Amino acid sequence: MAIAGILIACGLSAATWYYVTPKYTKVGYQPIQPVPFPHDIHVTQLGMDCRYCHSFVEVAAQSNVPNTQTCMNCHSQVQKDNPKLAPVRESWKTGKPIEWVWLHRTVDYVFYNHAAHVNRGISCFSCHGPVNHMATVSIVEPHSMAWCLECHRHPENFLRPDDQIFNLDWKPDDVKPSEFVAKYGQPKSVTEDWTKKKHLTQQEIGQTLKERWNIAPSTNCQTCHR
Amino acid sequence: MKRVFQHPPEPLTGKKYWRSLGEYSNSPQFREWLEREFPAGASEVSEDEWSRRDFMKLMGASMALAGLGLTSCRRPEMHLVPFTKSAEWTIPGKFLYYATAMPRRTGAIPLIATTVDGRPIKVEGNPLHPASAGATDTFAQASVLDLYDPARSRRFVNRGKDSNRGEFDAYIDKLRGQLGSNGGDGLAFLVEELHSPTRERLRAELEKAFPKMMWCVYDAALSEAQDDATRTSFGENVRLIPRFDRADVVLALDSDFLDCGEGDLASARAFTQRRRVKSSKDTMNRLYVVENRFTITGAMADHRLRCAASQIPLFTHVLAGKIATLTKDSALLSLLATLATPAETVPFDEKWLIELANDLVSKSGVSIVLAGQQQSVVVQLLAYAMNSALKNIGRTVVVREFPRNRNTKNILQLADRMHRGEIKALFIFGGDPVYNAPRAVGQDPDKKTPLDWADLQKKVPEVVRVGYHEDATSTISQWHVPLAHYLESWGDALTSDGAYLSIQPMILPLFGGLSESTISQWHVPLAHYLESWGDALTSDGAYLSIQPMILPLFGGLSEIEIMNGLLGRPKVEGPELVQETFRATKPPGDLPTAWSKFLRDGFAAHVPLRDRPVTFNDGAAAQLTHQLWTTTPAPTSESPEIVFVRSYAMDDGRYANNGWLQELPDPITKLTWDNAAIMSPNFAKSLNVETGDLIQISINETARDANDRPIRRELVIAAYVLPGHAENSVTIPIGYGRKKTGPIADESGFNTYLLRTASNLHFAVADGKNIESVRVTKVGKKYPLANTQEHWSIEGRGVVREATLDEYREDNEFVKKCGGMDEPQSYLPSLYSHPPMDAPQQWGMTVDLNVCTGCSACVIACQAENNVPIVGKLQVAHGRAMHWLRIDRYYASAKPFDEDNGEFPQDPEMVHQPMMCQHCENAPCETVCPVNATIHSEDGLNVMAYNRCVGTRYCANNCPFKVRRFNFFDYNQRPIGKKKIAGEFGIYREYVAPFTEKGAPDITKMQKNPNVTVRMRGVMEKCTFCVQRIEEAKIAAHVHAGASSDIRIPRDSFTSACAQACPHEAITFGDIKDPESKVSKMKQQDRNYRLLDYLNVKARTSYLGRIRNPNPKMPDADNIGVACPGEKA
Repeated sequence: MAIAGILIACGLSAATWYYVTPKYTKVGYQPIQPVPFPHDIHVTQLGMDCRYCHSFVEVAAQSNVPNTQTCMNCHSQVQKDNPKLAPVRESWKTGKPIEWVWLHRTVDYVFYNHAAHVNRGISCFSCHGPVNHMATVSIVEPHSMAWCLECHRHPENFLRPDDQIFNLDWKPDDVKPSEFVAKYGQPKSVTEDWTKKKHLTQQEIGQTLKERWNIAPSTNCQTCHR
Repeated sequence: MKRVFQHPPEPLTGKKYWRSLGEYSNSPQFREWLEREFPAGASEVSEDEWSRRDFMKLMGASMALAGLGLTSCRRPEMHLVPFTKSAEWTIPGKFLYYATAMPRRTGAIPLIATTVDGRPIKVEGNPLHPASAGATDTFAQASVLDLYDPARSRRFVNRGKDSNRGEFDAYIDKLRGQLGSNGGDGLAFLVEELHSPTRERLRAELEKAFPKMMWCVYDAALSEAQDDATRTSFGENVRLIPRFDRADVVLALDSDFLDCGEGDLASARAFTQRRRVKSSKDTMNRLYVVENRFTITGAMADHRLRCAASQIPLFTHVLAGKIATLTKDSALLSLLATLATPAETVPFDEKWLIELANDLVSKSGVSIVLAGQQQSVVVQLLAYAMNSALKNIGRTVVVREFPRNRNTKNILQLADRMHRGEIKALFIFGGDPVYNAPRAVGQDPDKKTPLDWADLQKKVPEVVRVGYHEDATSTISQWHVPLAHYLESWGDALTSDGAYLSIQPMILPLFGGLSESTISQWHVPLAHYLESWGDALTSDGAYLSIQPMILPLFGGLSEIEIMNGLLGRPKVEGPELVQETFRATKPPGDLPTAWSKFLRDGFAAHVPLRDRPVTFNDGAAAQLTHQLWTTTPAPTSESPEIVFVRSYAMDDGRYANNGWLQELPDPITKLTWDNAAIMSPNFAKSLNVETGDLIQISINETARDANDRPIRRELVIAAYVLPGHAENSVTIPIGYGRKKTGPIADESGFNTYLLRTASNLHFAVADGKNIESVRVTKVGKKYPLANTQEHWSIEGRGVVREATLDEYREDNEFVKKCGGMDEPQSYLPSLYSHPPMDAPQQWGMTVDLNVCTGCSACVIACQAENNVPIVGKLQVAHGRAMHWLRIDRYYASAKPFDEDNGEFPQDPEMVHQPMMCQHCENAPCETVCPVNATIHSEDGLNVMAYNRCVGTRYCANNCPFKVRRFNFFDYNQRPIGKKKIAGEFGIYREYVAPFTEKGAPDITKMQKNPNVTVRMRGVMEKCTFCVQRIEEAKIAAHVHAGASSDIRIPRDSFTSACAQACPHEAITFGDIKDPESKVSKMKQQDRNYRLLDYLNVKARTSYLGRIRNPNPKMPDADNIGVACPGEKA
């Protein structure tokens, strides 16, 4: 009787531990948007930069979704009769904005700042995943506090060169060690000459950039919880 | 699980008040909460409102769109809603700063308004202009809440029925035709005092179009005495500007010049800057104050004399005699010769007067004698004559050119014509004359009883009232037009010393009755100054621009637009009216560039401030003094004087519905939500009255009615006992008891205007001329007063440390000897593992007690910046006021309170000390939190994580400074002041959860700072050193650094809200690790000390000990500089 009770309690807490975490509840959320905007076509196929639409990501806390005018910049001519774009044309005509479903949302007591991350070596990919290959955007990272702390405690696992922030297909293997060292040097504590190496790992790249750019993300509460 | 309400996104055209918004989260908003907060009549359903059916339809539709049938089990769908076309310059969530100005009584204050997502949320001073030099006062800080007042007027009302702008315009056209036919005979304007060149220009044009019109200025707290005296003594179109920076000795005769409420920040600042002492080698100015009550000027005084307000003329007369004898100035002597010499025995300390006169004369040319503007013309003239004798004119008191239109009438002249039925069309701009006009402006010819303004206004067939609230005046007016806030308006202004400022609007009207398609027509409703284009003069004459931060929320109109309409001109599309005035100032260069610069800077540098080198016209002054001189018998305890003063929180009543100001503890009495009759302990004893007892003030006039009964005025008011108040004098602040302004204003305080008539605007005393008797009697009932600090004592702990300048010079280190206990009590090793404070920049703060006047601008600034809620009177009485920063007020006297006899010291000093979280390095609060919600950051802040707090309140218990505030009842979501309860505090039942309403009106949420969490019930909060500003600065430094390593925040590039607001720069905030920063330099001074250091808390906030500069020859010199327990050298 008691054993059954203990087993049930253990089962419940295990279930909670697994199911009631952002990793389960958030990851995979892929709502249907009012306009089925395909990032893969626009970014990968057409080669648009993230910042054409998400224009304030480098200066503001929120990265904005584009206004209707941005869409109409092209779609007043391109695909101008496509029924999938009808809500956009409607919005442009009536002045009523498109209500996109909000995916990557932090709670109200968390203040996240895009500009501080994007200017300092964190790519869109690290938090939003391969959006450039998504036909419909889904959440791929749990965006929980523990997950944020993973990077804040060890930013070298996620930093990348500042010209690769908006290149969502970048891999550490893409880096040529000689060019990298010429531009950024290598960590002071490392004696081995990295220009001779074939590849650099993410940690090596990250450590170099962390030292060079004085990256020391705070893990204190006031950084995010103001 | 957070309770989240699914709410359908509203269309931009329907939900008008989110018009110029960028992205926003569709977090729970109920439109009905907005409706519920409105006064009667304003909650009518507009045709655009969503009905329940539409609500359900769209909800269902969006569910279907999302492909979810049952949403109750899934996450609620939230939306990101961008613009269709973006607004220029608006980046979502990023602050945008615009220069504007707040028009005020003596002059406008140049401001920078912080706007986010198209709406203003905070105002700061404009650092580019010396009239504010980056600082503000309480009213400027609180004005942004007025913009978002749910009880604001939202509609046009025509004879009690809803109307609109179109009908009003048609009415104005018709009126113009009628008035034009007879030259404007019967047209009158009753306006408030605003120094707006554009308004004056339009007025001049109106006077040309309607030559017989009448323009009257009435402002309850404005006295004509100073204007009359200045005109007599120095000519037309001038104003006297005190130059405190040049003055070594200042005498204030009933003059509360340190109170910035009139709009003159620059002078107050100039004075306090002369009190700064960096080392013992520095000199200080000296302040003598003669007043009947304690004011913040009196609290700053080096020597203070208590004198009944009605006896100030006599005091001035005697002092003038002494100065005349010493200086042998012929002008002063001849002026005094026209007056009867005072009686042999005067009730003033002879030595005090003589030494004062000696000091003033010894500082000829570097002294100032100021007479409070409420005192009569003769006092002003005597003060000018003394200044002239002391050779101050042109040096410490300059004569500045300042335009004054002589054709302005006053309210009594208007009332006279109204009584005779000569006024046919009356425009009332702002104000609330039914509430604050002097009583007895007319007389019933048959019954010989006095008629008040309401009676006379009813005689005028067409009254157009342009007002901010639908208050008592609007109720009896034919037309009510919503007034625009200054933040919603275009305009211009003059500072108190004559500089020209711009006022520009910040946002489109929230409820302006405009749809997207009619955006081309800018209905600029008379808005709050933050909504208005306008112009204004600062108190010294600088020309400022007023640009709207937001287009009028409720379709209000500004005054200049109505005047423009009356002139028959086409409707303006914004700033044209101001541009015309600006063009007339002949700006250099091309007009568009000059105009842009005017708006960008907030002022026009090319408009010069001209001083006039004049001499004192002693002949005219003598003549007028002789004509007007009267003496008043000294008040006695049977026949006291009643003194009417401006309230520090309510001004003259215009801020009655402003919750922040209602809850602001009065700097002197520390009362909130109420005014009280302030009296001295001796007088209270003679009445057998203590604080909280109700008293009745009865004034019998000499006038008789038709039945030969004396005209009688009565007021029942609560008493408040204040040490340091003059004997036989009762001070009652005006501005309370205003009805029909909103739920905050109702039930707050006592309407002292009931006692105020034109002949006794400043004080009522039985002089036998107008007033036969003044009686104060105890009623026998008590009234609950919500006092935030009844505690007057430091209890020997050395929190306030003070010395005289001589003592400081003898011993630089006096602060270390004051209060004794600075050494930590124990030298045992610490068990506590200290959090590492290893960030390259460490934050700290100092407060210079020498310059803090207690004005409380910092308190309101903190409230505005950090979304600090108000709690209502009942909760304040329970000690739950939420102000993160409070000003403690202490009395000090060399003679202690005599417990046996119950004798208070008669002439104590007063000291103010701002108290906020000290951010102790060894914080007692951090160690006791069971859930580790409060921790120490690496840059020295004591940080509060609201989401982690469970509400144990152990931290507040442990805090020795009592600066932690607990949110007991979800104050941000509860309404204030709705339902009465019985019992001692029979006021409100706001918080008897869970049955009361919940949910703040949307419009109140618009003021909130988006960078600061809005705290919920059960969470502790406290001063965070404006961590959101620190983080913003850090982020900006990171963004600026980008791919480089210099992430240092530039020195003194930002500061906390309190430090920014203080007009005297008493608070300094910054990086204490940087030896060159302002705060480090302050901490290096020898006056620097930390509070309660013996507890080893190592506070990051430190204070600079107060120095007073008494004159050793004065009889009360020993009683000065004594707020310091413990032995001094």
